[in-house]
Amino acid sequence: MTSSRAAAPHAGAWLLIGPFLGIFALFTAYPLVRAVMLAFQQTFGPGAAHYVGWANFDFLSRDPMFWKAAKNTGVFTLGSILIQLPLSLALALLLNRPGLRGRAIYRTIFFTPALVGVVFVGMIFMLLFEKRTGLVNQALHAAIGVDLDFAWLETYIMPAMILATLWQYVGFNMVYFLAALQNVSRDLVEAATIDGAGAVGRFFHVTLPSIRPIASFVVLLSIVGSVQFFELPYVLLNGTGGPENRGLSIVMYLYQTGFQAGDLGYASAIAWVLAIVLAACTVAMRFLARGEDA
Amino acid sequence: MRTNSDGDAAAIGRIPFGPIVILVAAVASTLLLAARPAQDRHEVRMWTFARLHHQIYQQQVAEWNVAQTPRIDLSLLSLLAIEQRMLSAFLAETTVAELIEVERRNAARAFAGPLESVGFVDLTDRLKAEGLDQAINPASFSPWTTRGRIFGLPHDVHPVMLGYRADIVESAGIDVSKIETWDDFAHVLGPLMADRDADGRPRRYLLNLWETHFEVIELLLLQAGGGLFDSDGRPTLDDPINADVLVQLAVWCAGPDRIAADVPYFSASGNKLLLDGYVIASFVPDWMCNIWRNEIPQLAGKVKLMPLPAWKPGGRRTSVWGGTMLGISRTAANQEALWEFAKYLYLSPISARELYTKGDIVTPVRSLWSDPVFDQPDAYFSGQAKGRMYIELAPHVPVRHSSPFGAIAADRLQTAAISVAAYARRAPGATRAELLSEARRALAVAQADVLANVRRNSFVRADFHEEAGQ
Repeated sequence: MTSSRAAAPHAGAWLLIGPFLGIFALFTAYPLVRAVMLAFQQTFGPGAAHYVGWANFDFLSRDPMFWKAAKNTGVFTLGSILIQLPLSLALALLLNRPGLRGRAIYRTIFFTPALVGVVFVGMIFMLLFEKRTGLVNQALHAAIGVDLDFAWLETYIMPAMILATLWQYVGFNMVYFLAALQNVSRDLVEAATIDGAGAVGRFFHVTLPSIRPIASFVVLLSIVGSVQFFELPYVLLNGTGGPENRGLSIVMYLYQTGFQAGDLGYASAIAWVLAIVLAACTVAMRFLARGEDA
Repeated sequence: MRTNSDGDAAAIGRIPFGPIVILVAAVASTLLLAARPAQDRHEVRMWTFARLHHQIYQQQVAEWNVAQTPRIDLSLLSLLAIEQRMLSAFLAETTVAELIEVERRNAARAFAGPLESVGFVDLTDRLKAEGLDQAINPASFSPWTTRGRIFGLPHDVHPVMLGYRADIVESAGIDVSKIETWDDFAHVLGPLMADRDADGRPRRYLLNLWETHFEVIELLLLQAGGGLFDSDGRPTLDDPINADVLVQLAVWCAGPDRIAADVPYFSASGNKLLLDGYVIASFVPDWMCNIWRNEIPQLAGKVKLMPLPAWKPGGRRTSVWGGTMLGISRTAANQEALWEFAKYLYLSPISARELYTKGDIVTPVRSLWSDPVFDQPDAYFSGQAKGRMYIELAPHVPVRHSSPFGAIAADRLQTAAISVAAYARRAPGATRAELLSEARRALAVAQADVLANVRRNSFVRADFHEEAGQ
């Protein structure tokens, strides 16, 4: 067989995957390579870039703003996971109770905020938390005499953002948990009940192990979403990090560095650190999930 | 039993609905794009970010398009859209609108990098050759100047005055003409804060100011003679004048004798508080007159303007807030014709009159300041000839120096201001000297942080880092 004949059977395959490979190379592989190169460059406006080795990463390791943003992002992520997910699970457990009337209506009510865009959520909460005229201060002032001038978005920016995200996504995660709960084996639950297990015992020894794969997925989803959070602080704080940068997230800092200060090289370095952190989280979660399966 | 070939034939015979929809959509959108008329080679695009400017320019652009070339296609875009498209185009060296009207902070971002790679045409030589550098108020050039070169034609001056509730002040028998300094301001208007609510708090405050209002803090620094950068672009956050201003700010906002309140600018809730008389005076640059007029018409005849109180007797009675320029894209063809259009749009007597009558904005062209239109009484501001008042202050508007590190400096200054105010709240009995010490500390941190960013940048390091002795 000649070489041209040998190649012939593969020509069709190459032809078919060619468009994908072309698009992948142009819009995914090339930008990735460029982003890596950019992370090792100093940039300053158009047409000004040169190689600086690890200098961007070195500066990042000592940059107080980056660490402040990392701390804020960590707090937000922990807040999302430790408050939002247990609440989502609790709502799912309530909705999963046998004989509950209007289950679909409750599910719709809890899920609806997830349909609202993050920008709208930001604007709504900005109005709610305004001094003097905001609904929160007006209500608290009328009820317990809280100072109308209390500045939620200056004093408690991170709790305010956690609350806004909680409102938006608690129903979204609830749907995952509800789906998982509806797949818990009734035989197992009944067997545990016959063996004398109470509600708490059944939850920890039957329900929770059964929904663990879905719970791991929801935790991973929450971590990824929280680490990447940008729109909410951007809208709520008018594109700034807020007073003393208490609301600055890593992605906000990346945006400010790259697109406001024009330092694309440093922004790229931040982006790669963020990508590595997210990849590590994903690997860790997969590792944990595999351990559970075993 | 059906063979595989039968199955394949059947599958091909029944093409699913989804792919057909995708195919039709792809073909239709391709045809629509192909059928779209190409841009006229004789037409240039101009982007503006302000609805008001867009309205004002409509007629002038139409008149230009009848008599002159190139034909101008004027578009209104959001400020963020202009910034992103402009910076992306400058970075990638792709085409962008030939004429771009931008606000101060967006323009400063475009001035990063070597001078020869700035995306706007350097207008310095043209301005000097035609004497426009003298004809236009000098301070109006400063935001568009980097390293001694000017990249935009100034649209305005934007002097700042205090807009105050004349109805409340005058009914209390207070004469604001006695106010010369900020100390006078607090002293003369102080009785207006005597009215207290059930909690013992004043029902109203004297000044709309808060430690989070960066734009206002900056204008106060500039009025006092401080600022964020010097004329060579070096950060000057730790200037002693800035420290003094931050101390005063903390006293006004957070001290035991607080006189300031947070009434958000550009918001419905802020407008409501102004209407309620929650604050007596707000900082009002000329362009804000138009916002008040349109958004709070109920204040017509109830407000007046007065020059800013000075920091010390005989001191500067105004400052500056905002600013717009018109820049010509470096990639634009026929730059001479675009320059002619830019002058027609910004510098003609008709433009100046339109700008003031429709937008309350004072032209930067000094020879046009004698136009009687500026002497007309304004019913909204209780019959004051506010145009003349702003023009009298225009020559005293402070210079603002542009820097690519402006966004970082602004953020760090804001943090310092908040820190000093927080200190004043934590220690209500703090002396002025203690507050000053805290302000110096906070500003030193801010300065060091901005300098760290400057030092890291090898492109500007060569310009001034070494000579600054760092």
